This record gives sequence, C-alpha cells and structure tokens, in this order.
Amino acid sequence: MRIFQSWRYPANWSIFRLDDRLLLILTAIIVGVCSGLASVVLNRLLMAMFNWFHPLRHYWWLFVLPAIGAALSSLFLEKIVKEGAGHGVPEVIYSVSRYGGLLRFRSSFSRLISSALTIGSGGSAGPEAPVVISGAAIGSNIAKYFSLNDRQRVTLVGCGAAGAISSIFNAPIAGMVFAIEVIIGEWKSVNIVPIAIASVMGTEVSRILQGNQIPFSHRLFHINHMDILACVGLAVLTAAASILLTRLLRSMDKIAKKVPAPLWIRASIGGCAVGLIGLFLPEVLGKGYHVVQTTIEGAFSQGLAIVGIATLAKIVATALTLGWGGSGGIFAPCLVIGSLAGLTYHHGLVLLWPSASWVNEGCFALLGMAGLISGMLQAPLTGIFLIVEITGGYEVILPLIIVSAITTSLCHYIEPAAYYMKDLVNYGHLLRPGTDARVLSDLNVSELIEKDCIAVSQNMLLRDFIDIVKKSHRNYFPVEDEETDHFMGIIHLDDIRQYLFNPVMYDTVFLGQIMNTKVEVVHPQDDLADVIQRMDANRLFSMPVLVNNKFIGLISKGTLLDQYRKELMVQTSQSI
Amino acid sequence: MNNQILHIFRNNPLGRETLFQSIYFSKQVNVSPVVYIPKSTKFLMYFDNDVVQIDLDDSYLTSPDTALEHVTKVLEQAGVEPIFLDPKHYTASTLPDIHTNFNYMCCPRTISDLSSKIGFGYIGPRVRRIVKSAQFPVLITSPVFKEWKSIAVLFGGSVNAVKALKLGFRISRISGMSLDVFTQKEKKSLESYQQVIKDRNLKEEMDLYVNRWHFFENGTLEENLYDVPHDALVVVGAYGHGLVKHFLFGSKMEKIQATITNNLLIVGPNYTATI
Repeated sequence: MRIFQSWRYPANWSIFRLDDRLLLILTAIIVGVCSGLASVVLNRLLMAMFNWFHPLRHYWWLFVLPAIGAALSSLFLEKIVKEGAGHGVPEVIYSVSRYGGLLRFRSSFSRLISSALTIGSGGSAGPEAPVVISGAAIGSNIAKYFSLNDRQRVTLVGCGAAGAISSIFNAPIAGMVFAIEVIIGEWKSVNIVPIAIASVMGTEVSRILQGNQIPFSHRLFHINHMDILACVGLAVLTAAASILLTRLLRSMDKIAKKVPAPLWIRASIGGCAVGLIGLFLPEVLGKGYHVVQTTIEGAFSQGLAIVGIATLAKIVATALTLGWGGSGGIFAPCLVIGSLAGLTYHHGLVLLWPSASWVNEGCFALLGMAGLISGMLQAPLTGIFLIVEITGGYEVILPLIIVSAITTSLCHYIEPAAYYMKDLVNYGHLLRPGTDARVLSDLNVSELIEKDCIAVSQNMLLRDFIDIVKKSHRNYFPVEDEETDHFMGIIHLDDIRQYLFNPVMYDTVFLGQIMNTKVEVVHPQDDLADVIQRMDANRLFSMPVLVNNKFIGLISKGTLLDQYRKELMVQTSQSI
Repeated sequence: MNNQILHIFRNNPLGRETLFQSIYFSKQVNVSPVVYIPKSTKFLMYFDNDVVQIDLDDSYLTSPDTALEHVTKVLEQAGVEPIFLDPKHYTASTLPDIHTNFNYMCCPRTISDLSSKIGFGYIGPRVRRIVKSAQFPVLITSPVFKEWKSIAVLFGGSVNAVKALKLGFRISRISGMSLDVFTQKEKKSLESYQQVIKDRNLKEEMDLYVNRWHFFENGTLEENLYDVPHDALVVVGAYGHGLVKHFLFGSKMEKIQATITNNLLIVGPNYTATI
C-alpha cells in the first residue's frame, strides 16, 4: 500500500523536490517524448489511411469520402469524447491565458483521432494543430500528476506544443519558437530551457521512429537583388491570401452555423464539397505535402491560370473543411497555399518580365510558405524558422525575413488579431503575462473586500454617528435598514463635512437624511476590469460590495493597487 | 450572507425536488443559492489543479423557455432572492466555464449519468472528480425533497473525516441542529479514534456540539447505516478516488450513498475546514 501511495503522489519523490528547475527539466523530457510519440502516431495513422484510400482515388464516387470522414470526425468529437470541433490551438492559448494551462485529459487523444478521420479521408486540413493540442494536453496532465504550480504547468503546456511541432516537422527550433511566440507569449529563460529540451526530445523521438528526413528537400537557390526586391510583391500576395483564407474560414463557420442540421451533417456537407473540388483538382485533398514538394522542386508544370485556380481552390477547400465542422489545423494548408501562391507569383513575374533572370520557382514557393504561415499566425519567427528547417535552405534566409516581416505587418494592419487569436481577442481572453488585463484577471472582487467598516442605521442621530467616527479610521460608513439589514446608502465624510462642524445639527439630523443613496455598488462576482472602469468613469475611490442587497465590505482603489502590484511582481518575476 | 451554493437546475420535476433541497440547505446553513440554468449539455469547472468537464444528460435542457420562470417562482415562494449564474467565459463556443468560487455545490446524483441510474445509487466519475478537486463540500441530494432535522457525521478517523467532523460542527452551530457522530470500527481501537479527536484539539467542540458518538463494533457498514436517522444530513469525508483505485479498492462514498437515501454532504481533500 505504501508503494502504491508513493506512486500516487510522485510530486513527493525526493528526486523531484531537489530543485524546481530540475523538476521542470525532468518533466519536460517526459512531455517532449510523449508529445513526440503523439505526432508519430498521427503521422502513421495518416500514412495508413493514405495507403488504404489511394488505390481508390480514380473512382468518381469517391468524392463522398471526405464527407464520410468529416461526419465521422465530428460524430466522434461530439458524441464520444464530447468536445467541440475546431483545431484546438485557441483552446490551448485560452487555457494558458486564463487557467494556468489546465487542459482536459481527453484532449490529449481526441483531436488525433478526429483529425486522422478528416485529413485521412481527403479533407483539406493539417495535422499540426491537432498534435499541438494533444502535446499541450499531455503537458498539462503531466503537470497535474506531479502537482506543479500554474507557471510550471504553463511551461509544460508549451513543452508539449513544442515537442509536437518539432516531431511532426522534424524541426526543433520551429517547435520551440512556435511554443514561445504563439502559445506562451513570454520569452523568459525559465520557459525557454525546458521548452528547448522538450523540442529536442520530440525531434529525437521522430528521428528514431521515422528517420532523420527533411520534409521538403530543395535545390540550391542563387538569389540576386532583383529577387529580393520582388519579395515585396510576393509578401503583398501572401498577405492577401492570408486575409482571404482567414475571412473565408470565418464566413464558412457563420454560414454553417445557420444551417439547421446537426454538426455531423454540416461537416459532411463541407466534406462533400471538398470531394467535388478534388475530382477536378486533386491537389486540394488531404494535407497536400506532395504538392509542396512538387512546387519546391520546380516540377509543378501547370501554367499561371491553373496554378492560380489551384491556390484559390485550396483556400476554398480548407475553409469548407474547417469552417463546416471538420477537424484539423491550418499549418499544412498554409504551406500548400503559400507554395502555390509563390508559384503563381513567379509565373506572373516571368509573364511580365520574360527577359529578367529570376531565381527558380521553387524558391518563391518556399517564400510563399513562410509568408502564409507568418500572415495567418502573425508570428514571423515561427514562419522563418519553420521554412528554414523543413527545407534545410538557409541561403533563402534574407528574402524569408523580408516576406515574413512584410506579410505579418500587412496582415496585422488589416486583421489586427491572428487567426488563432481572433476570438480570444474579441472576447477579451488573450491575456499575456504581465499585461493589465492578465493581472486584473488573476484578482477578484472577493479577495479585495475590506471588511473593517462600521455599519450605521438610517435612524441614527448625527451626534451618535460622530462618536462612531471617532473610533473608526475609515471615511465611508454604510447605512443599513435596522430591520432587514438591507443596504440603504453610504455616508462619505467628505460629503457631510458641513454637518460635522455644525453642533446645531447634531441632535436634529438623522443619517437617513444625509446619506448618499445613489451609490454605484459592486457584487463579488463582478469582473474587476468592469469595476475599475466604473470607478474611473465616476471618479470613485471606494465602492460598497453587496450580496443579496446586504453590505459585506468596501472595495477601494488603494487596496486594489496594492494587490495589483503584488500580482504584477509575481507574473513578471523570473522564478518558477 | 456572503456564502453561496451553486445549483445546476434541471427543468423537470426531478430537478425541482433538487432545487427544493438546495433551498432548504441554504436556509439552514445561511447561504445564498446561485442557480445555473444550462444552455448546453456540457460545461467546464476549472479548479486549482484540475479541470472537470460536466456532461449533463438532455433532460437538463428541457423547455429552456420556462426554466427561468420555474426557478424564479420556486425561489420567490421560498422567500429567497433569485441569483443566476451567467457564464462570462467560454473555452469553446458551446463549452462555458463555470467558476468555482462557491462555498458549496449541489450535485444531484445524476449530474453526469443517465436518470435511469438514480435508483442504483451510482455517483459516477465526474462527481468524484469534483469532490477530489473542489475547495467546497458537495451536497448530493436525495432523489425526492426531504427536510433534514439533524446532522450525522460518519467519522473514520482519517484527515478528510476530521474535515467532515469540523464541517458538521459548523453546520450544527449555524443551524442549531443536533449532531451525532457515527464510527464504524475497523482495524483501529476505539481509543485511537478518541486520540484523533484529542490530537486535533477537537475535544471541546465534541463536548459542545455532539449529541452522541455511536461506535459500531460489529456488523458491516451497510448494516449499521440503518441506525443513521433517515432525516439527517449525512456529512462524510471522501478522497474522490480515480477510476482505477475505485475499481481496485472500492469506494466508501459509493457504498454509503448507495445504501442510504439521506442528503449527503461530501468533503473532499481540498476543502479547508473551519468551525
């Protein structure tokens, strides 16, 4: 029994209690390995499904396959694991922002299965976001098992995301940068070290089980000044594609929600539409890595019009898959759309200036991929490092930086929030550490209530009240009904100064006559940000807190500032 | 009356009975009922170190148009001001977060299970996880409204049992109802139970609040539970074990609630007991 107890409470093991940083590093290793394994599992599942269905691709009736996959995927999420559709990355960021990275255990496997069904059957989506939520949920639940605190848990959530991305792309730096730039949003050494270790572990797991391969190999590119200049135009095109994809995804989601049908039927409608597009343009089906490889190699032989149509078709197919209820992420579609957009741009340049010597079209495909990733995620570093690592092409780093930076800026100008963050920003849920909103979200009205106020009765004479004032060190006195104890109003000493210094009034004035009855009140469940807004708007320094119309205390700006400062110091400290 | 009890409302006769229980409890213990009328069959509760998804059955969404009216009417008839919980945050569009800053939660036996299981006395893994993670005691009501006239604490000497005992003292103090303690003797001697009380400095409270301390030296727990008054609020400490440990070692909480029909107040490991 004692052995059982010790296994049940691993947080008590002496090895983990030596040092908090050591504990975090050890758990990061476990998280990195587990999230790496989750990525490998999904990859194998997708490969198996591809091998099953590929021989059947030439049958016309197979356009229903994405519909069946999407329907099964949404049924699995809705009825079996009881989770919502979508790729899950906003859920991870939300949990990191608001609940110290707490994620449900079921999220560690649910999206793997659902996205395998959607993508494996031909839906236009990527496996990366599902592995991110799986890895993050693994990290969160391992943190729970080891009874780690909120900050440590958030770091392990980042470790899970980093391990997953590192493993699926065989790209450790991109995994690390993605976790810090997108998921955690905080560059601190206490986060970076465990996340880097988890990235290495995730990559190693992938290399051991799947081999050390660069996902998209390329040829050497000789980039001249004209090409770098042309990158500006490409950045504009990828920014436009990013905005189009973002808006189409949202529109599809809105349209789908208006259809009076169960989610699985809506998902199958979207899947069916994708299948129909796939009959004419098979490039839009699945995660589409073969399309990326073909474009980078310069082997995509179609002309400008077809490539342009394929780009648009992939955007529409992705919006149909994800917007109508399929499960998967936008990483892989971004890579495909980006590569096709790059190719389109190259074809356009060649058409306009046929005599100019442009770099190989594969280079523009790479740059387009970086542009789309940076534009959709508004995370330029992730875009740059991802493309460098998955193509092994460091020589394109300068144009990569230019395209990523310009695309991110343009997208940010038109759509201030990234695709993952849009809803979070709209609902005020994106709370990065050390920001005003985050500090306020970690405090609540109940913990700021000052209860040392003396309540007085409305029938009390001013003379008796003065005796109470002598004993109290507060300027505010709540007035309560003698029978019901209900809050009637408040007396602020500044408001009644004229009476206090006029002894004639002492035995003639009752408190009910001089109290302020038009008082802004607060309830314990009120949002602190709203409370402060009301204080600022009405120039108040204190407000009474009521429950069931009974006074329970005061909330004051002074106490709030005091707690705010303490919370800010906790959030911005380097300790874990 | 700053303390609050969270009540998840089900808009059917069974749910009305449970609401009666919550109202009665809130009046006795001097807390305000906060009612949540679900708009979807699932919601999340974020605790300090865990997040629990509550999956309700479809009966919780019966006639959403009349739910508010029904709750208001029942509360007003009882002379209680209606307070409703409107979720402010959503993890996903159909997945609201319910905050956990409550002092009690009323958790019907069927919160996560099919109504058909009521009679079988099955609590289920969700409720066990709430008990395990919550900083508040969980009130598991009897299927039909039943006023309780006394308090019975089942005391086994564990840390959680001590918390349950302290909660029993607290409710006895607030409600003025008599308190009986019941102990099923297991491998320990009678003195060891008394020693726990002494070690925890609860001797004075035992003398002050406890009407009688019943020791069961013979028979099984199920047999001896017959002696617990049918109209008592039973307070019991529980660990909220996970599924694996539940299958391996069983659960006393499940055994108790499957045997008696009383209202149960279950105290988990994260509850901080004050008298």
